[in-house]
Amino acid sequence: MPDNPIAVQLVDAVLSDFPDHQPGTRPVHTIGIGVQGYFEASEVARNYTIAAHFQGQRVPVTVRFSNGTGSPVEHDGWSDVRGMATRFHLGDDVATDLIAMTLAEFFAPSVDAFLQFSRAARPARQQRESPWQKILDMLCLKQPLPDPMPGQMASGAAGMLAFANQHRFAQMAVFQAGSIGAPVSYVRAAYHAVHTFILTGPDHVRRPVRFSWEPIAGVRTTDPTAPPVDCYLHQELKDRLQRQPATFRLVMSIGEIGDAYADPTRQWPGKRCRVFMGTLTLTTVPEDQEIFCEKISFNPCRLTPGIDISDDPILQARRDAYEVSRLRRGGQSCPFAAG
Amino acid sequence: MSVAFIPHELQGNILRGYRRSMVRYLLLEVADRQAARIWLGAIAAREGADGLSITTESAWSSKPDFCFNVGLTFEGLRALGVAPDSLQTFPTEFVEGMTARAAKLGDFGPSDPQTWPAPFDEPARLHIIASIYADDEPHLDQVQAHIAAAGGGRALRIRGTREGRNFNGDVVHFGYRDNISQPRFAVIHDRPEISEPMAPLGTVLLGHETSFEGLFWRVPQPDPLGLNGCFNAFRILAQDVAAFETYLDQAAEELLVHRLTEHVLKPGDEAKFGQGISRLAALREIVAAHMCGRWRNGVPLALSPDTPNPQSPVSLTDFDYTAQSGCPVGAHVRRSNPRGGKIVQRIENHTRRLVRRGIPYGGPYDPTRPDDEERGLLGNFLGANLGTQFEAISCDWLNLGLQDPQITGSNDPLLGANEPATSWFDMSLLNGASIRLRGFPRFVRTRGGAYTFLPSIPALRYLATLTG
Amino acid sequence: MESEATWFDRLVDALPNTRLFQFIAEWILVPYWAARTPVKPQPGGPRMAPQPSENLQHMMNLIMPLKDKSPIGRAKAALAIAQNVDEIYAGLNNVGTVHFARFVLVDGNLCMFSVYDGDFSNYIRDFIATIGSVFNAIVALIEDGDAVIPCEHHVEAFIDWVHARDLYQVPDLATDLLAQHNAAASGDDLRLLPRDLILQLHANPNVSLGSGYRGYPAFSVAQIRQKLGVGW
Ligand code: HEM
Ligand code: HEM
Repeated sequence: MPDNPIAVQLVDAVLSDFPDHQPGTRPVHTIGIGVQGYFEASEVARNYTIAAHFQGQRVPVTVRFSNGTGSPVEHDGWSDVRGMATRFHLGDDVATDLIAMTLAEFFAPSVDAFLQFSRAARPARQQRESPWQKILDMLCLKQPLPDPMPGQMASGAAGMLAFANQHRFAQMAVFQAGSIGAPVSYVRAAYHAVHTFILTGPDHVRRPVRFSWEPIAGVRTTDPTAPPVDCYLHQELKDRLQRQPATFRLVMSIGEIGDAYADPTRQWPGKRCRVFMGTLTLTTVPEDQEIFCEKISFNPCRLTPGIDISDDPILQARRDAYEVSRLRRGGQSCPFAAG
Repeated sequence: MSVAFIPHELQGNILRGYRRSMVRYLLLEVADRQAARIWLGAIAAREGADGLSITTESAWSSKPDFCFNVGLTFEGLRALGVAPDSLQTFPTEFVEGMTARAAKLGDFGPSDPQTWPAPFDEPARLHIIASIYADDEPHLDQVQAHIAAAGGGRALRIRGTREGRNFNGDVVHFGYRDNISQPRFAVIHDRPEISEPMAPLGTVLLGHETSFEGLFWRVPQPDPLGLNGCFNAFRILAQDVAAFETYLDQAAEELLVHRLTEHVLKPGDEAKFGQGISRLAALREIVAAHMCGRWRNGVPLALSPDTPNPQSPVSLTDFDYTAQSGCPVGAHVRRSNPRGGKIVQRIENHTRRLVRRGIPYGGPYDPTRPDDEERGLLGNFLGANLGTQFEAISCDWLNLGLQDPQITGSNDPLLGANEPATSWFDMSLLNGASIRLRGFPRFVRTRGGAYTFLPSIPALRYLATLTG
Repeated sequence: MESEATWFDRLVDALPNTRLFQFIAEWILVPYWAARTPVKPQPGGPRMAPQPSENLQHMMNLIMPLKDKSPIGRAKAALAIAQNVDEIYAGLNNVGTVHFARFVLVDGNLCMFSVYDGDFSNYIRDFIATIGSVFNAIVALIEDGDAVIPCEHHVEAFIDWVHARDLYQVPDLATDLLAQHNAAASGDDLRLLPRDLILQLHANPNVSLGSGYRGYPAFSVAQIRQKLGVGW
């Protein structure tokens, strides 16, 4: 519900981390690019779910890649989380979304914890750590604070670090976010849907699963010692798709007893049964980015029979938060509302 | 290497079950080392301390009023002053203690040792587990009072007690008849009705030939301390009877409408389960039997796959598992003892035998009057080597199911670390097909326990001589 | 940003890569912190976990220093393996839970790397039962090996001995290292993660970095053999 107070609170919390946010745009993942293509499920996918997009036929998709920040200024070369939101068009205004990012885990396991986290992550004036302090760090065999990106005045990094030192659940995400770097291309990064979903198979068996997209071209980040370039990801993608399509593999892990089904801060190790669910082929960057990038609104809970949400409180809270955000920025109305 | 077997030098609860209707466990801390040692020496004597002495393996001329035995934890041995170089000769799993082995034993989540009530929350202070077996409460109280008074009341501190009672012969919660299969030893003749392969004495006693050709377990040193000793995994296993019965309902409802239902139970065969019994009720019994491997009355599925009441009686113990067996590979008894059946780890057949001594605690569950009372099994799993027997069964067979590719990745349906989201179990049908049951929770939770060493009588005497 | 990086900033940033700093770090800082904040050497091998798939395809990385590290000593080790290939292969089939196993000589160490299903003690014990004699021949060539042979008569000590030489496996998730060293629920500093790792490597020079990649996780040897139709 758009008037769900928790959803409003969440969106406001996200907004508060980006003081230069522009009304009418997304509060996070503000800068992005829409792409079109298709998904083909593998021959085994249908054994695990009856969901329409996993039956093997070619399903048209729209993908929006994004930089994580809510700032309107593009800094492609900065170390930042990236997003990949995918819409599977199932026909007749029916669609399902899969939203993923380059972190394999989230910062907080519950709404309250997330609100605290986003308070801690409010940008503060960021200074280069003094050389003396760095020497002291080195003598303690402690990692010096990362320098701000050239031109960066404020950042939430220090607050996030302090939060992670208080809350073990945030450590992995903060640690990874700290060293994530910048991809050489939006299609040279792996993206994780983070939450647990419940698949229902043709035999009615329900399985807890997690999804990741892996680029067939391989994961590659820019050289962290080279000066960052601000705008290259969009042009790179257009140029690349003109030459040849880009592909991703959809990888699914099946959860087992003891796994954190409801906790997005805990990654599942690579030892879980791993199923290759299909291949995504991206072919074109549509001209009309207003429709395919700016207006489009994704929702992690826009699902279809055969795939359900889990008990993850963050996943559940995102449903209304994304709806509130869509309404605020005048995004495209969702198939839920259209009925 | 094998040593002599002298009945009166052996604690009596190792090779035989006393078959008393009550057992009380006293969970003791050594309060005064010297007084405790003197007491151990006294109970090791045939005339005992004020009449209390350890029940040995010696044959009885007349049944005693009560039986009495002790087990020592590693912390207990230390508290009694056993020398460090002697302590070092005990096996790692015993040294670390049961709580440190939680991951291997499936003790996580609701069974996590962190959740165990006192006195199991302080394993370092759990030194001796004394067990009293009797048919009435006054005898239990009498022995308890005696122990409380040991050494002028200074020797031992009773930090807790646990008491079990039989409520219906050998029937345990969940309604199964238990206490049927036990390893059989060449030297013992008390259970002629058991016909299973003979187990070498080294299955339970240290210093004797083991069931692994050419392998010997280390005898804790010095010899008088270690020889003829035995290790025990004492477990308090709470059973959720309501959840179990509810699951049987649910599974039976599913089977009633399953497309293979006629292969689960031939229409018309309901009568084999008892007069006027409904199809649903019969299906419940089938599910219960498949999960255990025995019908609730004890009849093995391996010999009577279709009915708990075979027309001509079958042996309860003389059977083996084949590829065609009516007993599911994942059933509790087949998991915990695959007998001579085909398993992945070929050399392990017959090498993980356990002597089991258990008694239920808590009153029987009455489905018409549901309650929250805790009930379950006070279980003792005895063997000469905890790692080879109790732990090996727990981590690779009961949970994980490594012994057969058809069950690998699943846990024991009766007592495994299950959860509805991922649990599964394959029933084997009369036509050779199978039906996979899912969605069952964990029915058995660990609520306490300890690894103990059951010393021989000479070992108790040895402990009594320690100084310092 | 406040200001451009000064020459001093740049100097300090480059410091960690200088010989001088590396020398100070190795000879002063690491020993100092190892004494100030000692870390416990962690037990080797994988840890059992609730998830069935965690208990399949375990990795063993056994590093055994040879008594005689000369080419002659190493040749002896190579020969001991070569002479027992039949026993070893039949034994591996018999144990039934081994995906891969191989011997490697690295400097003066004989290493055995394997991937096996289930519990470590059960795996080693089954080996002792089937090919104990081969173990005896090999372990006789290893430093401190004499105390645990013949392994058939020192089963418990032998298993502990092997366990002690199985490499510690650094957690797959970097931050779990912090949790392993610091049991308290909070109060650890992410920026000290490098130091944690350094000190752990100081205590345990050889480690396995994580538990490794698996191409077909969550299946046992027998399951794969059964699916492929080659019997188990
Ligand atoms: C409580 C937790 C979260 C909150 C409150 C939140 C909030 C938001 C909001 C308000 C938007 C803008 C939506 C719109 O206007 O269309 C957004 C976009 C996005 N979020 Fe989240 N988010 C959360 C967690 C996550 C997680 C766990 C992921 C990764 C799996 C994620 C990935 C994304 C991506 C990729 C976008 C951009 C979608 C697009 O391209 O349109 N978010 N988030
Ligand atoms: C509350 C928990 C338990 C219940 C309700 C239970 C129930 C049973 C029942 C009904 C039987 C068949 C009777 C018989 O063959 O004597 C049995 C047999 C057996 N159980 Fe359990 N059990 C429990 C725990 C355990 C545990 C923890 C272990 C081992 C770690 C175990 C090992 C065995 C073995 C070895 C047999 C004999 C199998 C054979 O030799 O054929 N049980 N159990």
